[in-house]
Amino acid sequence: MKHLRIGALLSAILVVAAACTGTPAKSSTTLVVALPGDIVRTDAMLTDDSNSSYVIQQVIEGLVGLAPGSTSEIVPVLATALPTVSKDGLTYTFKLREGVKFHDGTDFNADAVVYNYERFRTVPEGLQDYSYYIGAVFGGYGDSSNLESATAVDDYTVEIKLKAVSSNFTLTQTLPVFGIQSPTALALGLADNSEVDITKVTGAQGGAGAMVGTGPFIFDSWVVNDNVEIVRNDTYWNTAAIAKLEAVIFKPVAEETQRVNGLADGTYDLVQVIAPADVATIAANTGLQAIDRGSSFNIFCLQMNHTYAPVSNPMIREAIAYAIDKESLIETFYAGAADVAKNWMPMDVQYALDLELPTYDPAKAEELIAASGETDLTIDFWYPNDVTRPYMPDPKGLFEAISAQLEAVGFTVVAHDAPWRGGYLDDEYAGAYEMWLLGWTGDWAGPDNFLKTAFFGYVDGAPSTEFAYKNNKLEAAMNAALAATTDAQAQKLWEKAQNLIRADLPTVPIANSKPQAAASIDVKGFVGSAGLNEYLNLVYLDRAGN
Amino acid sequence: MARYIIRRLLAAIPVLLGLSLVLFAYIRLLPGDPCVAILGQHRTVETCAKLREHLGLDLPLWQQYVNYLTQTLSGDFGNSVINALPFTQEFLVRFPGTLELTIGALIFAIGAGIPLGRLAARRVGGWADGLITGISLFGVSIPVFVLGLALAVIFGVALGWLPTQGRIDAHFRFDSITGFLLIDTLLAGRPDYFVDVVRHLILPSVALGSIPLAIITRITRASVIEVANEDYVRTARAKGLAGKKVDQRHVMRNAWLPVTTVIGLQVGGLLGGAVLTETVFVWNGVGRWVVDAIQNHDYPIIQSTILVFAAFFLIVNLLVDIGYAFLNPRIRY
Repeated sequence: MKHLRIGALLSAILVVAAACTGTPAKSSTTLVVALPGDIVRTDAMLTDDSNSSYVIQQVIEGLVGLAPGSTSEIVPVLATALPTVSKDGLTYTFKLREGVKFHDGTDFNADAVVYNYERFRTVPEGLQDYSYYIGAVFGGYGDSSNLESATAVDDYTVEIKLKAVSSNFTLTQTLPVFGIQSPTALALGLADNSEVDITKVTGAQGGAGAMVGTGPFIFDSWVVNDNVEIVRNDTYWNTAAIAKLEAVIFKPVAEETQRVNGLADGTYDLVQVIAPADVATIAANTGLQAIDRGSSFNIFCLQMNHTYAPVSNPMIREAIAYAIDKESLIETFYAGAADVAKNWMPMDVQYALDLELPTYDPAKAEELIAASGETDLTIDFWYPNDVTRPYMPDPKGLFEAISAQLEAVGFTVVAHDAPWRGGYLDDEYAGAYEMWLLGWTGDWAGPDNFLKTAFFGYVDGAPSTEFAYKNNKLEAAMNAALAATTDAQAQKLWEKAQNLIRADLPTVPIANSKPQAAASIDVKGFVGSAGLNEYLNLVYLDRAGN
Repeated sequence: MARYIIRRLLAAIPVLLGLSLVLFAYIRLLPGDPCVAILGQHRTVETCAKLREHLGLDLPLWQQYVNYLTQTLSGDFGNSVINALPFTQEFLVRFPGTLELTIGALIFAIGAGIPLGRLAARRVGGWADGLITGISLFGVSIPVFVLGLALAVIFGVALGWLPTQGRIDAHFRFDSITGFLLIDTLLAGRPDYFVDVVRHLILPSVALGSIPLAIITRITRASVIEVANEDYVRTARAKGLAGKKVDQRHVMRNAWLPVTTVIGLQVGGLLGGAVLTETVFVWNGVGRWVVDAIQNHDYPIIQSTILVFAAFFLIVNLLVDIGYAFLNPRIRY
């Protein structure tokens, strides 16, 4: 009995003591940020996921970047001005900032920039799986790369030559993957293209030479799946923008509810993205704030494959567009944090037009169906059963609501579902689905990224298996737009492409969602951007008494 | 004794081999592959095919198995297909977290289970017995993740008494050396951090320890009742020995045996339960890691983790069997 009493007493004391010590005073110099997932690698070039980019952009800077809060306004960063472009559109000249040093003390100059671009051009075969954006932007590597050369004209002038005109070049260079890293660190981390086995590239794996840039924060450590720590760069070249925080810790938290709970109990100070369903919870808590990012950088569509009847009939597709009540979907599933889609890309993207897409009108839909001549109105319709996406917060709910709206005008919907990674994405891409739910989150704010890459660009010279949407004029217009040497020319061609797509209505755009961030009320200075180019050196913690 | 241990270790080899085959087959039967996890919205049929080839997933299954086996036998447990980090290094980073949690749960389960079991056995059919038996029935019935979520919501979110995520407050920026935060915080001379680590440990330990607690309570109760009815206990009492002495020297010594077996078996169950508990409490341990790996079809990580867990389970059971010899002089190997 004595043991029992002592045991019980001890555990009781322990629990009470621990519970009563209360939370320690909150730090006013360390910001803890909950990300939806862990970073994947610590080398800008060898990443293609948004979590890695989010951290990397605090540490590594490019020649150009995006203005805080914007997805498309290009500003010079390590360059002193936007590049001058030669008449033939092939040569870009960048003037570089002087007196900048990388975090390891290496000088930033033309040689460093040339070293980085040469690296982009010659990514070895074994690493190309990990450098998606380099391949996507330059069309390949080595001889197939659109990068002809990068040369140092003098210590602080670099000339980048392209093989073919690419009107999106400057915009794409704002992506964090094109950040300029210290050549010394890249060599130290075996990230100088000499090592083709990614497991040995310590610069990409958080080891020696990892993430050495010129930015306002310095990479400190990465404990995989637990945290990434970056600390203030006290000698940042932009003295007006030296970070106010001493350190930022990024924690990967996959569950939306856990992120919000952790924010409420002080585990996290900032949650990068919350579910629409949690907006009300945040609003009800006076200690927290939801942060609206203003615009959207994604698109959610009702996708269709034109090899299947009846969706192969343009009048049927038009009817479907009229049958869907987009506003009610936004109200129900996005807690209002979305815009009705006006295009196949968000409206902040370059040259985006309001294409005056059909608005909810079931009577009109029924008329179009009657006029279409289609008699079999059965549609096989798919949704993913195990994920949510930023543009699609509740796939099953959206599916049911859309199905009901389609059936209300006379369609017969055959419901199907599949696991996201175990069939859905493979099958829709291979053309196995007639109608399905899918969207796209932008990589850069150029129309090519949405209209061509995400949706309707031909694959190997033929319509994609995904949509089986054939329009040679559209393909020609998009290619010509990318090869345009002037902005005016590019704009004209992209507008033509948009109108061609509108005329065919190959799929039905539904919404541009605006995933919100949330933070403790004392987080100040955070400038949200729909493209997640958010710079934490501007953030400070307003915690009295600390 | 040495011969017995060697025999047991040799017997473990076919078990692990068989397990590796079943595991391999089972994991490959899961629909999907790592391509979507790695390439995301940028994947195409071509890049996926290239990636599969690069990862050796285009080879015939038997060849993949042979490769995997030869690799594992040579001590190379493979690299993650998602971030290419080596298994062994990443496992060692996370294992201390799982071990701390498992030990916390065991302390809770044993520390509360044995006294409760003894208490219930004192007055069989009394109100304490009824209450304890009822609680332990509840403990066995409730799934770990339900209890974990309930504890987190009640004591974390609603009452704000205890933290519900992670192993230590990230604001401390504490750099662990050994991975064992309970030890490291003390070595660093930060008792305040140590208290924070303990606070983080409480709810997950209770959640994870609930099932072993229930089982240990019931086994202790049953075992004590059985032993207490033995003739030699009656003799001891008849001799006029004090109740406490009888309890300690005659009842408990013999009642320990089944309790020890059960504790040993529970360690394996704890490793399985850690998968759920770590996910609920955002605990950086092996369990949460393997859940991520399963979602990403990260084959080498899943295979190697489960294999290591199985080996761990076999070793713990061997230790339990050896422990018998000390507890019961009648058992000799």
